[in-house]
Amino acid sequence: MNSNDIEMVSVTKTFGSNLVVNNIDLAIPTGEFVSILGPSGCGKTTTLNMIAGFAQPSSGEIRIRGKSQRGVPPEKRGIGMVFQNYALFPHMTIAENVGFGLKMKKRPAGETRDAVQNALRRVHLDGFENRYPKELSGGQQQRTALARAIAPEPSLLLLDEPLSNLDLKLREAMRVELKDIQEQLAMTFVYVTHDQDEAMAMSDRIVVMQDGVIAQTGRPAEIYEHPRSSFVADFIGKSNLLPISDIRQIENDWFVSLGTKGLTLSVFIPDGMSGHDARYCCIRPEAVRLAVTDEGIPPLPNRLEGTLSRIVNLGAYFDCFITLKDGTVLKSLVRSTRLPGLAVNQAVFLSIDPDAVQLLSR
Amino acid sequence: MSSIETLSALRQPTHLPVRLSRYFPLAPPLIVLMIAFAIPMGMMIGLSFHDADTGILTLDNYVRFFGDDLMLAGLWRTALMSGLVALCVTVMAYPVAYYLARSTSRWRVVVFALAITPELAGVVLRTYGWLVILEDHGAINNLLTWSGLISEPLPLSKNLIGVVIGLTHVVLPFGILSLLTSIQGIDPNLERAAQILGSSRVSIIRHIILPLSVPGIVSSLLIAFTMAASAYATPALLGGAGFKVIATMVYEQVLFYIDWPFAAVMAVILLVMMLTIAFIGARVEARLHRKLHI
Repeated sequence: MNSNDIEMVSVTKTFGSNLVVNNIDLAIPTGEFVSILGPSGCGKTTTLNMIAGFAQPSSGEIRIRGKSQRGVPPEKRGIGMVFQNYALFPHMTIAENVGFGLKMKKRPAGETRDAVQNALRRVHLDGFENRYPKELSGGQQQRTALARAIAPEPSLLLLDEPLSNLDLKLREAMRVELKDIQEQLAMTFVYVTHDQDEAMAMSDRIVVMQDGVIAQTGRPAEIYEHPRSSFVADFIGKSNLLPISDIRQIENDWFVSLGTKGLTLSVFIPDGMSGHDARYCCIRPEAVRLAVTDEGIPPLPNRLEGTLSRIVNLGAYFDCFITLKDGTVLKSLVRSTRLPGLAVNQAVFLSIDPDAVQLLSR
Repeated sequence: MSSIETLSALRQPTHLPVRLSRYFPLAPPLIVLMIAFAIPMGMMIGLSFHDADTGILTLDNYVRFFGDDLMLAGLWRTALMSGLVALCVTVMAYPVAYYLARSTSRWRVVVFALAITPELAGVVLRTYGWLVILEDHGAINNLLTWSGLISEPLPLSKNLIGVVIGLTHVVLPFGILSLLTSIQGIDPNLERAAQILGSSRVSIIRHIILPLSVPGIVSSLLIAFTMAASAYATPALLGGAGFKVIATMVYEQVLFYIDWPFAAVMAVILLVMMLTIAFIGARVEARLHRKLHI
């Protein structure tokens, strides 16, 4: 029994002289929700198309459930797919759309009817059987596309930015539903997106891609807390990303200098990293603790002073931009109930736990 | 609220001259169409109701047409020929149009050029080309006789076969263009979606592409039918005396029998036939659009 639904071994894809996917190795475990995340042009959609069989790797091998897929056309791969524009068949009713996969597999009519009913119930579209796609809202079309993909019960479902055409409220509701469905059906989901919130919200595992290579693979919390490069740190979540100009060791403590004007922070070097490799440091805004008085912050080594230059009100939180004395701007996330009277141009005090300063070698 | 309503009510009349001026650019083409199309057409229809000798208003010409077996045979031949051409054109244009709509290869441009450029050569030139190939001592018959496969030349010209071949060639580009527009309008992702759901190439064409391109098929059939029915040069050269259609028969009436009113009757009947087909086609297409939800 192979525990990986998909294995990609040194897969490369070139279009002419254009290297789109560069020698990636990827294993997707059975039953996991895996997101392939990256900016446009990073090769994520090409990777998905290669898994689906719409594109052939220029070199390397893709195995699905342990079997090499070389020369296997998409219709023989036994996988489901949800397209960004839904790709519903406009001339078929919702029931016909959802039953299409079963019809192609020549299942008996009764079985098909039951499967269609089940799939529609699962996406809360029962009663819509005889409507046509044009008569449905964007969200309902999206659910239909999902129902159509899961009705033949594939073990593997590919999703190509399926929520990107929906408005924010619906998108957030659908995230929860998608995750529920994936867990109920115990299907492997491979979800391509450029939206890091989506990936963080739903995934068991995130694969971050950059320029055709995998920048980092890991659980959402792992990637958020320990990004391996400045690209990942910047792409996932918000961060204060600062280039390191100097790093030195004084007895057991390490200090980094940021910029040229003597901003120094005390840091911890994580296991397996040499302090001298550090090139950037990443500080999450929620790790930058802000206070209006000197006493408001804990007596930690990294204490800074600055002026509040901008406040972005996010409702529950304030996104604060603090200009330090040397001109560096740091972002800090402050719960709005904690410091309700915050105002621009106010002098503030910051503290940063040395633990929260992540050192990045590239 | 009420002040806004009053205001808009007051403004309405001042819009009128503006609206009229919007149609001024239409005047030149309208005048040209009146002089070159509507007036001659009206004169022709009027002529068909007049006696050739006395000029008295009469229905006799129509009675004569429908009482004449030769005429009815001509009408039937025209319909049969046009129908066959419409079918051949649509069947042959479909794969080309599909290829042109979907291909991303560099040969696409070449195929497109090959499909369209014959239109530049002119109908008469191309028809003579076919005559050279199809006639009794033409390329095909000479080759077959020489190879010993046949002893008598096959009847490929001066009959229905020759005319249908020639007209299919003439009309094909129009069929390709109308199907191309229709197939290009079908989202390629629909094919991928069907494929990932287990459809083979054949069943994608059967379940997705064909149904969704039916409006294109209908318009290709319509264009090909009307172009074939109104064609003169090709039936005249490839059909000759052996295969007369309404268009060539009208010419005969005008030039040899000098019976203009009767020629007008034939032209009007051809026109009515084409309008009927076009009307039916348009209705079918509209209904399909609704039924296919596209």
